[in-house]
Amino acid sequence: MASIMQKNKQTLLQTDPLDTSLSANNLSLKHGKAHIIDNLDVALPAGKVTAIVGPNGCGKSTLLNGLSRVHMPSGGEVLLNGNNIHRVPSKEVARYLALLPQDTSAPDGISVAELIRFGRHPHQSLMQQWAMDDQQAIAYALAAADLNELKDRQLDTLSGGQRQRAWIAMSIAQETPLLLLDEPTSALDLGHQIEVFELIRHLSQEGKTIAMVVHDLPSACRYADHIIAMKGGKIITQGPPKDVMTKALVRELYGIECDLIEDPMTGSPILINIKRVKA
Amino acid sequence: MMNTKTHSLENMPPQPQLEGHTTLPLGGESQLLLEHRALRRNAILLAMLALSSIAFLGMGSMVLSPLQVIQALLGQGSELNQFIIQHLRLERLLAAIFTGAAFSLAGCLMQTLARNRLATPGIIGIDNAAMAFAVSSIVSTGISLAPSAMALAGAATATALAFGLAGSSGTRGYRFIVAGIGIGAIAGALTQLMLSQVDIDTANAAYPWTVGSLSARSSSMVYALGIGLLISLIACLIWARRFALLPFSDQVITGLGEQIKKIRVAALSLSVLLTGLAVAVAGPVGLVALVGPELARAMSGYRGIPLIGSAIAGAFIMVVADLVGRTLLSPIELPVGIVTSIVGAPYLIWILVRRSPRN
Repeated sequence: MASIMQKNKQTLLQTDPLDTSLSANNLSLKHGKAHIIDNLDVALPAGKVTAIVGPNGCGKSTLLNGLSRVHMPSGGEVLLNGNNIHRVPSKEVARYLALLPQDTSAPDGISVAELIRFGRHPHQSLMQQWAMDDQQAIAYALAAADLNELKDRQLDTLSGGQRQRAWIAMSIAQETPLLLLDEPTSALDLGHQIEVFELIRHLSQEGKTIAMVVHDLPSACRYADHIIAMKGGKIITQGPPKDVMTKALVRELYGIECDLIEDPMTGSPILINIKRVKA
Repeated sequence: MMNTKTHSLENMPPQPQLEGHTTLPLGGESQLLLEHRALRRNAILLAMLALSSIAFLGMGSMVLSPLQVIQALLGQGSELNQFIIQHLRLERLLAAIFTGAAFSLAGCLMQTLARNRLATPGIIGIDNAAMAFAVSSIVSTGISLAPSAMALAGAATATALAFGLAGSSGTRGYRFIVAGIGIGAIAGALTQLMLSQVDIDTANAAYPWTVGSLSARSSSMVYALGIGLLISLIACLIWARRFALLPFSDQVITGLGEQIKKIRVAALSLSVLLTGLAVAVAGPVGLVALVGPELARAMSGYRGIPLIGSAIAGAFIMVVADLVGRTLLSPIELPVGIVTSIVGAPYLIWILVRRSPRN
């Protein structure tokens, strides 16, 4: 804990993002009395995009909330750089780990630039409300998410994809080596999905470690380096998309039969000939 | 002037800029960020408050000119004028400013907390419960400072009940509001019941509490409110950055490194403290809590949570309302609570109707 306290925001940017690690040890998470996840071990591969997939109710979002310290574990621990994440001051954690949740309610009438500025919150304090760092981080976030022309627009006047880009820009402004996203493309049409996934790839190339909950299996295979497949609160398998994606896995996760072929352009697996398994 | 300014800035390190804001360097790595729109709004509201205050001090059975008012405030002019201003009207003005600011700030905090513009302390029953407790102390004891403490206790009790009845949804969601409305109705009925059971003189003494009036205030309660308001305003300035996060989801707030529970408890406590103290001075004038924040918002568009702006706007509304109440049908005095309802309700409807079609 002392070590992370000393790594304050001055050294954060110089910290090699590959050195920042997030993992769970024996993690158990409960909703009320229902056990969602029991004794789960997982580590996010550094510098890669990890997609967490699985059927509805398998505990994907719960795991993401557990990893991001939103959900208090009932057992086990989440480790950020080897420290129990709940023992590190939350503001300190927020300089290492950004979270984009599904519930993206925002103040009425807020503009894109105002939203993105909230990403600087963990770097600011009562007596440090707007430093040079903040100005640079906002400028970078606006450019990375290609929002310079939209920055003065009200958030609720944007299209779904633009709005999601604004939220991602807020997490970029947070300047964290780790980024967790809960279904970042769930409500978006195909064009906007690609827009968001490409931005996520871009951030990964800049060195961020990213984990996202994704519903669409082909997109997960196409845009992630590492797949974690979950069912019933357990990890069934994990690894690079080409290795883990099999007919048997698809049948186990979703109860459907399909054939898998390789995308001739990208080499990532594609599902064809999809049928429901007859009971 | 511009020349000398740019000249002196040449030797300084570059200051961070933000459109529509001024950064105020405090030395070292410290700086404050001041938003032009909020500053302009607060300056306009302060000017409106100052003008209405001068009118407030000048009007009455003996009318004084603005110049006479200012002279009397500064200890100049005739002794009669000084006596009227400093001893007769100033305390009532302070009571109006303090109660208006307290109700309105409490309303803004509660609206933000519940994410619902209807969720003001008046509507969720805090005013009524504070009133019921205060009236119970008057009809049973008649000690002058007790109503203040009792009103606070009533406010806290109502909030705790509404919170408890709301269950897991907490301050967010309709259950909190509906539970509060129920508690307010019960408290209102209990007040009426108590008043119907006592002799006419005691009921008369307690009556101003039930309509909202500044004529039955006690000095000690006004000062208690003043101190509570000052503490709350300072707390709001220090916590403004955190309160600004309240409209976001729990995950976003946690993700940005803040503890939701602490922020909620702070906002709720301040709101209850301010409402309880203000009811102890003026009775339930809850509409100010609804109209004050709306006026502050209407003047700024969205730019954060207008805490300070709400306080000034509420003070202004209360001063004008009491001025109207004192002078409109003079020598008959209308209780300020009735004036805020007559004037405030249509104004509130107008604001809501005017603002609803968003661009």
